[in-house]
This record gives sequence, structure tokens and C-alpha cells, in this order.
Amino acid sequence: MWSPFCAAIRSVVCAGAFTVGAIAALASPLSGQEPREIVDRVDQLLRGESSRGVVEMEVVSSHWERTRTMRIWSLGTEYALIRIVSPKKDAGTATLKAGDEIWNYLPRVDRAIKIPTSLMSSSWMGSHFTNDDLVKEHRLIDDYAIETSYEGLRGTIAVWELDLTPLPEAPVIWERILYQVRKRDFMPVWAKFYDERNALVRTLHWSEYRTMGGRLVPTILTVIPADQPEERTEIRYLELEFDVGLEESFFSLRFLREQAD
Amino acid sequence: MRATPWRRIGWRNLGRNRRRTLFTLGGLAISYTAVVVMAGLGRGMVAEMVGNGTGLFSGQIQIHAAEYLPERSLYSTIGGRSGLNVAATLAAVEADPSVDAAAPRVYAGGLVSSGEATVAAGFVGVDLALEPKVSTLLESGLRGRHPRSGRNELWIGQEMARQLRVEPDDEIVLVAAAADGSLGNDLFQVAGIFSTGIADVDRSLALVPIDALQTLVALEPDRIHEVAVRLADPWEAPPTAVRLSAALGSGVLDSEVQPWTELYPEIVQYAELFISVEWLLIAIVFVIAVFGVANTMLMATFERRREFALLRALGATPRTVLRLVFTEAVLLGGVSLICGMMITFPILVWWQHSPPDMSWLYGGFTMAGGLVRPTLRVEYPGAIVFTAAIALFATALLAATFPAIRSSRVAPAETLMGR
Repeated sequence: MWSPFCAAIRSVVCAGAFTVGAIAALASPLSGQEPREIVDRVDQLLRGESSRGVVEMEVVSSHWERTRTMRIWSLGTEYALIRIVSPKKDAGTATLKAGDEIWNYLPRVDRAIKIPTSLMSSSWMGSHFTNDDLVKEHRLIDDYAIETSYEGLRGTIAVWELDLTPLPEAPVIWERILYQVRKRDFMPVWAKFYDERNALVRTLHWSEYRTMGGRLVPTILTVIPADQPEERTEIRYLELEFDVGLEESFFSLRFLREQAD
Repeated sequence: MRATPWRRIGWRNLGRNRRRTLFTLGGLAISYTAVVVMAGLGRGMVAEMVGNGTGLFSGQIQIHAAEYLPERSLYSTIGGRSGLNVAATLAAVEADPSVDAAAPRVYAGGLVSSGEATVAAGFVGVDLALEPKVSTLLESGLRGRHPRSGRNELWIGQEMARQLRVEPDDEIVLVAAAADGSLGNDLFQVAGIFSTGIADVDRSLALVPIDALQTLVALEPDRIHEVAVRLADPWEAPPTAVRLSAALGSGVLDSEVQPWTELYPEIVQYAELFISVEWLLIAIVFVIAVFGVANTMLMATFERRREFALLRALGATPRTVLRLVFTEAVLLGGVSLICGMMITFPILVWWQHSPPDMSWLYGGFTMAGGLVRPTLRVEYPGAIVFTAAIALFATALLAATFPAIRSSRVAPAETLMGR
């Protein structure tokens, strides 16, 4: 399953070999695209090699609001390290993703704990993302049948709207995903996720497309849970660098314990 | 009261074939004993189920914020965000005459980790002084000592300890989403390891001093999720809950007072099922007895056909003969009942005081969420003692009906002539 959070991070941080120019080249011709091709290109845009950056994550729940600044590193789709810089109470807390495993490092007790499989679908750091969102790496085109449900203008912007339904036996939790992609530059606009009862569970919005680290990327990602529309998690990208030459050994428990900077 | 001639005749007739009377009487008496003792065992099992189901942890009444169940949100504390005066609320609850004790609780969900092993856990913050008065969970000790108030110590279930590979005095990490949005985490020491015999509890429950859990999940001391209440008689829970609700209504905003019968309706259903089975038991045992007694009565009356014919010839009406046979049946029932009670009551008293431990045969099991221990506990079955007595008389009378009718229809002349 495609992971929105990691994908979001990678969309700006670890993005693959696709520079703005490369995306423009891929995007031509802009009409007559196969829906699978469109999704695959967006998917590939959100995957890539090593990267480093700083993001701000604002979580608004009905009981509290919290903004965290985090440094993030990633290598391909397998490795990611997220370390909280502020606020002070959370500073130093880190999450390491290595393959299918997630470890949380807790500086207060100086321990790293592995998130058990049974808790993969629970919230990551109190946000509206789950641990699963960080881990799952399947490509959308491998698990979903994709059809174009709309092609044309939405406002002044030419878009594709794609309807994704899972293939038989696909190990996915969403029964349907609706996905809007800008034709001009293959930038995702929004995605809506539906459960097995065809009820909307959450909506992701991408916005503020800017060139960062030499690439055009959506710099804000917002997730809104359908059952609590007053709540949201917003990720804003503050700094980005690509191809920073990280090694696999960087993403180890030993580094998790150290101030990886 | 002076005995009527029919009663005297009936009594003498019972003594004519003593061996046969003894067997019939024994059959009825043992039927009575079987029904009453079985009902006592059933009631014992129900009492065990209700006692353990509500006494192990839940309490007989629970008070929550109105919206707390079923989600059990960390934020849904009694009295809302401002909390409540815990001591005053407990005092108000304990003022009810049916209430034995009350204790505050805080709940949270999170992770417990030791080394590379991490398991999901439900944390229950308990007042270490008050909790033992309400539930027996802190008594289900296996190893170690009780946690101490104000310290980062806890009790975990045996299965959780096995999965984490920890022993008493080992350090473990607790992680829980806190009420301020942070990730509460701290080191705790395993004070003890409990074993309730209920797999879910032993695998996923951790008992933490209430103040330590409130600190971990960033809740103020006056914010609690539950007041658990213990009653002297569990069956008093529904009316007591109504009284507590009225008493707290003005002081504790938006709280919900629920008796165990509402929280665990499956236990009530099991109890009702067991009690309804008592009627089936009475029916089966005494229907079998009816045929046995009827057979004996039929033989006894057939042997006395000439006597009945003579009585008829001397002027007795068929109704008189009917009365004679029925009197005999009532006397038989009466003696059987006395014998039955003489067998039953000592057994009940003995069994109630020293229930045999059947753990050599089978282990404890859970039913409707409550642990049933492998002891054959007997409770005094109350009304069934009288119901079974009535059933015994009814059996004797029913069994006598056909023989009595046949005897009353004896034709005097033909029978006396041997035809």
C-alpha cells in the first residue's frame, strides 16, 4: 500500500530521480495518458534516493493542538529517520523505519522500543497518520485497478480524477481511493480514502507547490479524518536537500540513540 | 388433630409391605435431594460467576462520565476537563447503606517494552489503599509485592510478563499517548506479577498507582475515569445505582451510574438460564419418579382389590375408596419429604461450608467474562426447597391417581366372588 506520510516526506525529501525538468519531460504528451501510467508517475515522483529536510507537523485534535518541528532523513523507500526538535517536551524523540519495522526512541528513558504489529494501525505520534502509513511500500498500480473517472478542467486547472479499486487478493485496507492529479506537472491535488463500507475515512490535500532542493514539490500536506472534520494534521516542509549521500548504517538503532545531525 | 379412620388405614397400609414402601419412599426422598442439591450447585455456580465476574475487577456498580463508554476516551473524565472532588464523591457514594466501598480509577492505553519485546497494554491506575476493598485483582498475586503509591511501580499479568521476559524488580518502559498530545513515557519497575486465570487480563492489563499513571498521561489528580463500587449483595446493584445516580446527580455533572447487570448483561442471562434449568430439573426428576411410584401403587392397590370390594360391599362409596388411596399417597409423600429433608439439609450445610476442590479433575474456566473456580460451591437454593416439596407431593398424588381410580371402580360382588 502506498504510504501517504512517507510518500509525502519523500515527495519533497527523498524524491526519486525526477527533477522538475524530468517531470516535465515525462508529462509530455499531457493528454491520452493511461490511468495506470499517471498513478505510476506520481507514485515514482514520491519515491527516491537519499534526502534530508526539516518539516513542521501541526496536529489539531478536538482536545489539544500541538506543533512539532522535526528533522527527517531517508534512503530509498526502505529507510527513514524522523527526530523531533521541538517542543522541548518531545525534543529528541525519534522514529526509525527500517523495512517493515518501526522503532521509537524515547530520550527520557533512553530506550528504543519496537512498535508491535498489532499497533501498526494506531496513530503515529498523536497525528492522523498511522504507523502503517510509514511502513507500507506497495505500489498503487500493483494493488489497484485504476480508471479515469474525470478528465478536464476543475476551476482553471486541467486535472485527471482517478478511481482506484483493489485487485482481488490485494493486501490493502482501502476499498476505494479517489485521486486528483494536475495534468500540467503530475502534482497530486487530493486523495480520498474509503473503507469497506464505501464510507469516506480521510482526505489528503497537497498544496503550496514550490521548488525546493531543485525540485517542484507540494510543500504542504493536510490529512483530515472524515469522522472528525474539525481535526487535522498538517505537514509543512521548511528545508529540503536531495542526494545527501546517506548510508544504510545511518538508519540503525545505534544512530537512533545518538543526536544524528 | 385426631386421625381420621382413612388416615389410620392409609398409614397401616404403608406398613404392610415395608420393603416396598421403603423403596418407594427412598425413590421420592432421593428425587427431592437430587433436585435441591442440583439447584444448590447451580446457584453456587451462578454466585461464583457473579461474584468473580463483578468482584475480580469491575465492581458491582461503575460511575463514569456519560460519554465514556464504549470508546473509553482518555479525555472523558468524570466532571469533564475540570475534574471533580474525588474524596467528596467517594464519601457521597459510600454514604449509601448498600455500598461497602468505592475506589477511583484512571485508564489509558499504550505500550510496555522490555529489551526487544514490546506489547500493547491497558493501564489501570488504582488507589492502592482503596482498590483492595472493591476488587480482588490486587489479591490475585503470584509473585512479587504490591506496587507502592507515588512510585513508578506496577503489576503486570503473568502472560504479559512472559512475553516481555521480565521478573519482579525488572525495569520496563511504559509509553502512552498523553492528554496534552505528547507521548508520555517513563521507566517503571515491575513490583509484582499477577495471575487471574483470565487470559485477556493476564495478557494485557497492567496495574499502576493512580498518581503515577496520571503523571504519565498528563491528567491532573482530580481527573479520573471511573469510580468502582462494591456492594454487600451484588443483586442489590440495580436499585442502588438508581439511588447513587440521584445522590450524585446534582453534584457530579453528566455522570452515568451503571450496575453490573447493565454492564454485563451476559452474566444476568447466564444466571437466568441456570435458574430456568431448575424447573426443567424438577420436571425431569419427578416425571421419572411418577412412573416408579405409580407402578408400586398400582401393585399395592391391585393386591388389595378384595379389601376395596369388601369396603364397597359394606357401604363405602367409590369416592371413599379414592380418598383412602390418596390419603395413603399423601402420607407416603409426607414421610418421603421428611426423609428427603433429613438427607438433603446436612449435605447442603456440609457442602456449603467445605466445597470440594475439583482442581484435580479440571482447571478454572471463564464464563461470561467471570472466572469460575474448580470448586463445587453450593448456595442455599431458597424457594426451590419448597417448590421441590410441592413437586414431591404432586408426584405422589399424580402417581396415585390411576391406581385410585381403578380401585374405586372395583365391582364388589364380582371381586368378592373371585371373578
